[in-house]
Amino acid sequence: MASALFDRATRAPVVPVAMKIVVAGGFAVGKTTFVGSISEIEPLRTEAEMTVESLGVDNPGPVEGKRGTTVAMDFGRITIGADMVLYLFGTPGQDRFWFLWDELVRGAVGGVVLVDTRRIEDCFPAVDYFEGTGLPFVVAVNLFDGASTHHPREVREALSIPANVPIVLCDARRRTHVQETLVLLVESALRRAEGVA
Amino acid sequence: MTGPREPRAADPPRLVRPYVVTGGRTAAAGPTLALDATIRALTDGRELDLTSGPEPRRIVQLCTVPVSVAELAARMMLPIGVMRVLVGDLDAVGAIDVVVAPTETATDTGLLERLLDGIRAL
Repeated sequence: MASALFDRATRAPVVPVAMKIVVAGGFAVGKTTFVGSISEIEPLRTEAEMTVESLGVDNPGPVEGKRGTTVAMDFGRITIGADMVLYLFGTPGQDRFWFLWDELVRGAVGGVVLVDTRRIEDCFPAVDYFEGTGLPFVVAVNLFDGASTHHPREVREALSIPANVPIVLCDARRRTHVQETLVLLVESALRRAEGVA
Repeated sequence: MTGPREPRAADPPRLVRPYVVTGGRTAAAGPTLALDATIRALTDGRELDLTSGPEPRRIVQLCTVPVSVAELAARMMLPIGVMRVLVGDLDAVGAIDVVVAPTETATDTGLLERLLDGIRAL
């Protein structure tokens, strides 16, 4: 493990270990807010380009051949120490960009599925996805203003979430809530890595 | 309420089509770079050929401190695909170093414990 900030021979900076957590959920469920609450940089938006052909569903009609389209993802960064950095990647809001998810979750510690209880079904694809990949994940019920608060047990039953997946109430605007959600996820990933769960 | 930010009309329009800066190439020579691959500069970029634009030197300047491919793309307002081509070129001429974290990183208990301590200490 590199501990020095600079390589002795080249004086070039040593690259910190990059860890990654994916933040998923339905459209406008608060993913960017969640990332922004704890990221040390303003959430950055990056674009991935693809062709309509690769979208599979949602064919836009009688357009022949390839046509470029753009999908946007948000991400943030948290410096854990001189030799470790954590990236938070928000998934594209549209469910049909599954192939991008495959890339996003490769090598990820785990996922946070944000839930809006007013549109609980919006998170089904994300829950299914993480269950399918076997990646550790937590379900975070975003506490929007004006939304009635559901008990985590109700959400667990509504989503048929297995007992080893933590469910937490989380106001995505509050840094401590986001921090606690990430702690729960990494604890879960650690148990999994140790073969306990 | 700061919901997910959609592209706004106020965003500056691109002045050129994105793949012009890669000479029309849409794929990098090497394997596809992970979004969280870390790039760091090995030179100051002064020796670079800038006939196709200032982007290569800008990239080298932005990664004197190690930075992820995704962050580079966002800071330069270039699509990931374009950034991958440019980063591949710079890697090929030895101007930068590309470090891809092995997937086992995510299940390494020692690293996870440090990550956990780090998040708790935020």
